[in-house]
Amino acid sequence: MLVARGIEKNYGDVSALVGADLDVAEGQIVSLLGRNGAGKTTLLSVIAGLIAPDAGSVQIGGMDAFAKPRSVASLVGIAPQATGVYPVLTVRQNLEFFGELAGLDRRARARRASEVAERLGLSDLLDRMGGKLSGGETRRLHTACALVHTPKLLMLDEPTVGADVATRAQLIEAVRELADEGAAIVYTTHYMPEVEALEAEIVIIDKGAVRATGTQAELIASHSLRGVRFQTDGFVPAPTMGFEPERVATDTYRVLGDIEMPDLLDHLGPDAGRLVSVEALRPDLETVFLAATGRRLDAEGGEV
Amino acid sequence: MRATLAMTKVQLRILRNDPWFLVIMFGMPLVVMPLFKQTMGLSLVASGFEGASGAEQVVPGQVVLFGFFVGGSAGFSIFREHGWKTWDRLRASSASPVSLLAGIAIPWIMIHVAYQAVLFLAGGLALGLRFNGGSPVAALLTMFGYSVVVISLIMLAASSFRTVHQLSAVQNVGAMAFGGLGGALVPHDQLPGWAQAVAPFTPAYWAMDGFRSVFLEAGGIDDVLVPLAVMLGAGAVLSALAARRFRADETKEFFA
Repeated sequence: MLVARGIEKNYGDVSALVGADLDVAEGQIVSLLGRNGAGKTTLLSVIAGLIAPDAGSVQIGGMDAFAKPRSVASLVGIAPQATGVYPVLTVRQNLEFFGELAGLDRRARARRASEVAERLGLSDLLDRMGGKLSGGETRRLHTACALVHTPKLLMLDEPTVGADVATRAQLIEAVRELADEGAAIVYTTHYMPEVEALEAEIVIIDKGAVRATGTQAELIASHSLRGVRFQTDGFVPAPTMGFEPERVATDTYRVLGDIEMPDLLDHLGPDAGRLVSVEALRPDLETVFLAATGRRLDAEGGEV
Repeated sequence: MRATLAMTKVQLRILRNDPWFLVIMFGMPLVVMPLFKQTMGLSLVASGFEGASGAEQVVPGQVVLFGFFVGGSAGFSIFREHGWKTWDRLRASSASPVSLLAGIAIPWIMIHVAYQAVLFLAGGLALGLRFNGGSPVAALLTMFGYSVVVISLIMLAASSFRTVHQLSAVQNVGAMAFGGLGGALVPHDQLPGWAQAVAPFTPAYWAMDGFRSVFLEAGGIDDVLVPLAVMLGAGAVLSALAARRFRADETKEFFA
């Protein structure tokens, strides 16, 4: 359904995308995983025709997205990162408007508005003004507006940012159902648990380029790391440690490999008493991300 | 066309759901009109219009003046889409940028005509404005022409500026300057010579010319064809410039 090749986008001297590729098949969920500023939103914006790339090609449903942007747009639903709904229209009016804009007739948009509202838990709120919704409800309406015309390719940019636990679970469930119905879905996030919950094909993106691709199991098998990460009280000169740790932050170090806790304590010797914290790096998505990008993600999408 | 229709309907729906801006814009000129009626009456009589009450100047004048303020909302609608973060959603749809622009301009032309008509009606009831042989259709055509040129001008301004404050400045200065120079505040023939010379370059002048024909000179449709043609012609040029200047991917700051 989506084939993007060699997408490049520069803003002056800053390269937002450097030859990014992306493939999504019908019924497939692809999760773009990356820290803030990695290029996820720029890539989605290029695919949706919101930003013109400097190089590359995008095919959607077999059509050249840059040559036939209007034809392709009807196949695509996008929920950008910033929630965009009309606060002075009701939930129903919001949904029906985006349905009408996509070409649905009166009966079809009324039916679809009810369907997507039910899917995202908005049925009881159909007559409430958009501006009167809670944050989680607004986020669900924002996503629902992208679904109303039954897009073949659905792109959700950080759909759960700021959402409560219930909304997050509801959105993930809805995304999985849509994929089961055949939609191709691109889902950007920096929350590892969401990626795991979606059982998605994972594309790790960093500094504007795709660094790794595969299922969770494949990535763990091919990229994951073992090791320890520890923090000390004050700078510990490397020679004292007896091995070569990588300094990843102030007084925070990382040692990759099959190192065990007693080994670390032995190596630190008299400085073991200055240990503040020790964390074992186990093979999971976090260490996959670390191996692929050289950085870790914090909960807000920043790097650690 | 489909997108333009959808946009038109949603603009009208937004206004229906939140009508307070228009309510205030109806109220303000109705407060101002009686304040100037007597003075304008004396002024018109001095200009040779025996029996004029002043409503013939003050009602069209306030309609034209506040019409510019109301027209500014067409431009604000574009900025509002950016403020609500809905603009990118519209752009990502299959609608072309020009159809989106038209979907904002067309409903505002309709609203603008209705606004003028209701103000004239209210002016007639409150201040005794009468056609006195003038053609209601000619008045309606003049309203339409004025709406087209004002909305087109505002759309060009909205297409050109990046912040809502820039547009607001144009709206305020435009209303007062165009209104003053165009004869909306005092009759054109009582303006200083230099002002009379530049007046034809303002939309207000041509609108006031049409209304003056209808309400003071018992004019018919033929009598408003020139101002109508000028306003529609200017509107067409301004609309073309707005469409040419409009960049859908340009970031606009609603709160700047």
